[in-house]
Amino acid sequence: MKPDAPSDALLQVEDLHVEFDTYGGIVQAVRGVSFDVHPGKTLAIVGESGCGKSVTVQSIMGLIPMPPGRITRGSASLKGINILNNTFINGVDIRGNEIGMIFQDPMTSLNPTMTIGKQIGETLTVHRGYTQKQAYARAIELLDMTRIPEASKRASQYPFEFSGGMLQRAMIAVALACEPSILIADEPTTALDVTIQAQILDLMKDLQSETNMSIILITHDLGVVARMADDVLVMYAGQVVESGSAAQIFYDSAHPYTLGLKTAMPSNTNEQVQKLTPIEGSPPDLFAPPLGCAYAARCPHVMQVCRSQPIKQSFTLADGHQSACWLHHAQCESTTPGLFKKQSGGQT
Amino acid sequence: MRAYLLKRIVQGIITVWFIASATFVAMHNVPGDPLMDEKATTEEIRKNLMQKYGLDKSLFEQYIIYLKNMSQGDFGISFTQQNRQVNDIIREHFPVSAALGILAITFAAFGGILWGALTALYRNRLPDIVIMFLVILGVSVPSFVFAALGQLSIVSVNNLVGFSLIPVAGWGTIWHMLVPSMVLGMSTMAYLTRLMRSSMLEVVNTDYIRTAKSKGLPATQIFLQHQLRNAVLPVITVLGPAIAAITTGGFVVEMVFAIPGLGRYFVEAVQQLDYTVIMGTTVFYGAFLVFMVIIVDVIYGFIDPRVRVG
Repeated sequence: MKPDAPSDALLQVEDLHVEFDTYGGIVQAVRGVSFDVHPGKTLAIVGESGCGKSVTVQSIMGLIPMPPGRITRGSASLKGINILNNTFINGVDIRGNEIGMIFQDPMTSLNPTMTIGKQIGETLTVHRGYTQKQAYARAIELLDMTRIPEASKRASQYPFEFSGGMLQRAMIAVALACEPSILIADEPTTALDVTIQAQILDLMKDLQSETNMSIILITHDLGVVARMADDVLVMYAGQVVESGSAAQIFYDSAHPYTLGLKTAMPSNTNEQVQKLTPIEGSPPDLFAPPLGCAYAARCPHVMQVCRSQPIKQSFTLADGHQSACWLHHAQCESTTPGLFKKQSGGQT
Repeated sequence: MRAYLLKRIVQGIITVWFIASATFVAMHNVPGDPLMDEKATTEEIRKNLMQKYGLDKSLFEQYIIYLKNMSQGDFGISFTQQNRQVNDIIREHFPVSAALGILAITFAAFGGILWGALTALYRNRLPDIVIMFLVILGVSVPSFVFAALGQLSIVSVNNLVGFSLIPVAGWGTIWHMLVPSMVLGMSTMAYLTRLMRSSMLEVVNTDYIRTAKSKGLPATQIFLQHQLRNAVLPVITVLGPAIAAITTGGFVVEMVFAIPGLGRYFVEAVQQLDYTVIMGTTVFYGAFLVFMVIIVDVIYGFIDPRVRVG
């Protein structure tokens, strides 16, 4: 599945499979996701709603309710230690300590009946053995670090006294309290308006350069990806369809789905005044995923092989750039020659 | 907070005045009067008594006199119990009802929160199913049935141990209060259990519980500090009316267990049209309930910061 795994990876996820039991049957939410997170780098996971982005990171964090959830296959290791299904041995130390997490809606992500300062300090008392007083003092410093004015006054306030952007800053302070090596940001700016979005993203970037933490950024906004990401993972229907550096994904897009996402995005260049091109159709039903490529039903370049042959491998196109599409196969003759690169150095 | 409290107190006084007026009007529109029975044998005696109690004055005058006396804390003399001040009746018998009521509401609140939290933790498993079945019984079986069953079980227990461990009826010690207060609090406890259960299940799926988990907090800390406190809010909201239900609904239990509470006097006064006692007890109960609701509001303010500041 993967190329030679670089030894400097902080977090390595391999062949992760997650299922959910529902009344309608078993949903295969994540079907073989692999990626590496490198120290001090930002990995963006993009894809449309329901493609398994959140489930992937939540299973790493042990936030999947089990039952109905189930990790059926795969592994995730942080600094070489397996962290999947390991919540009782290492889990307590990993959550909040090694990995911090912020969520989509800051308005509902904080406890309404507890002061902001106490909520930030909580992790310090649990993981670092701080006293209540020390933790609270540190919470004020953390609020200051996330650029909340009058931090000492703000720490004694409750979430309902904060605005959305302020709450997301406070959430970042909560997540970073124990100086984790990874910050997982699950659509951190989706619920915020655009100017606040930019401020939060800048803040995350600045804090990253100060602390050298890694960020896993989940988003469906390619603009956010371009602004933040070093590496990009494009997901579709519970699988990774393309992965590579941000430059490779944006300037050298290989998978038809990534191309589709790019053409569906508005552009502000002058010559491009034509209509946006949406991706027709909707993602497949994950109760019964299609036999072949999951994107086949919506793909403008679909071939016969796509519908019948499960695409179980990715093709390496360049160093670190992989795409899971039959068009990259050496024997494939595309209808639009030259649009799709051929694999380099054989399939992996 | 102070302005809020002041507002609530003014509202409370208006409520009590309204209760007093409505009771007065209703009472005087019931056919008959307190002197209808054998006491007023001749027209002359009747006239004298009317004069003595001020019943010969116009209704409006009586109303004004009542309000004036009431505002000074004087509820007058009972019509049917010779020379007995209404204030004395209340002073003597209300502490009994209050002790019973407080014990019952404590029992109901703690029981409801405990059972509700337990059913939510064991959702759809055996403890949940058993408790929720008992809750349906608790809500639907009337208190006089529980009272009789309670006495029956006391008798059984006493027979078993061979001496009178728990008194079957009467008043005096904590042992006398135990079973009546449980009986009295039963339906409220059942109701609070249901409320607590649904509230707990709602809170457990919220984003902030997910955040607490992502912080790596121990399960007990998440449960106590994040889940319980938020889940208990709706329960506290209904505690005010629940206190109302328990203290005023106490007279059936008081009757069965022969407890000298205020409830019995209240019912007897209505039957005998004892105007002053009816007015006194009604207004007193009304004021008491308004007071309890304000207390609950204050407690609510301490638990939910949004109320305190807003």
